[in-house]
Amino acid sequence: MAGGLPHPLVIFRELNIALGADPAAAAGSALDPMIYPVPTHVWFTWLAMAILLIAGLMVRRKLTLVPGGLQNFFELVVGGLEDFVVANIGEKGRQFMPILVTIFLFVLTMNYLGLVPGCDAPTANINTNAAMAIFVFLYYNYVGIKTWKAGYIKHFLGPMPALAPLMLVLEIISHLARPLSLTLRLFGNIRGEEIVLVLLFVLAPLYSTLPMYFLFILAKSIQALIFFMLTMIYLKGAVEHAH
Amino acid sequence: MAFFKGDRHREIIDQLSTAGTIGLHLVCSTFVGMAFGWYLDKWLGTKPWLLLVMLIFGIIAGFRNVIHEMQRIQQADKKLDQKINGTGHEDEKNDS
Repeated sequence: MAGGLPHPLVIFRELNIALGADPAAAAGSALDPMIYPVPTHVWFTWLAMAILLIAGLMVRRKLTLVPGGLQNFFELVVGGLEDFVVANIGEKGRQFMPILVTIFLFVLTMNYLGLVPGCDAPTANINTNAAMAIFVFLYYNYVGIKTWKAGYIKHFLGPMPALAPLMLVLEIISHLARPLSLTLRLFGNIRGEEIVLVLLFVLAPLYSTLPMYFLFILAKSIQALIFFMLTMIYLKGAVEHAH
Repeated sequence: MAFFKGDRHREIIDQLSTAGTIGLHLVCSTFVGMAFGWYLDKWLGTKPWLLLVMLIFGIIAGFRNVIHEMQRIQQADKKLDQKINGTGHEDEKNDS
């Protein structure tokens, strides 16, 4: 919950020590039990993966025709996102549904982990976000090349042949800016929220943090939605005709 | 997931999140352009010039992104209006 500020994340420190980290070795160095052998944000990423896997297995074990409980919730989320994707990309969008919903649920779970006392949002660390953003960048370019073969270059050349070299440079810059802005947006928002929570907790422990929790639940959902939506828009740009 | 229920609600959230992405696109394009120029300069040894040229390209690319995003928002806005007010075409006829 503390967004990288000094805080007691006891469990994973002990786990790292059990895995062979030596707390007697210089604290604060690269051998700090907080980040060695497995950094904290990686532990929490694995925790998010475990939560999603267990939830998925629980839903799959008792699928019913009339959804109830957890199945109802997941059908609402996946159904809502599917409508959204199909409204934006069209029927072609259905093939990307698994990856898009995975991204949304994964980011959402990791964001919410930051609100659990004693836990830390993995997305408050820039490495997690960069990994996801680079994956999205590679994936939509892969989809574009698979769909258009060599014709994918037309997406970079713009409408007028005379301006093509200029547009190529501009498009390459704006395409490379996409993973950067994806990374920084998620990182900045989540990290900022965690720091605000800690500061408010210092000022007035319960009365100020409790209302902020509701605001941040909304903000974190919107951040997950933005990551999902931008991935969808990039995929749409890769699949569509160059104009 | 309260904001997945109403169709109108969802579109407002959609627009809100699109608006939230504009600023960073502008800044990131500028920085990517500058980094491009910086490393090209290092590689080719043309100290300040490619940096300046690519920085300007980056700024242009950033503003192009903003224009594209604005167009997307305007289109979504039109769709939303049409959905709320029934068919938007009749209104336009009445105005003109």
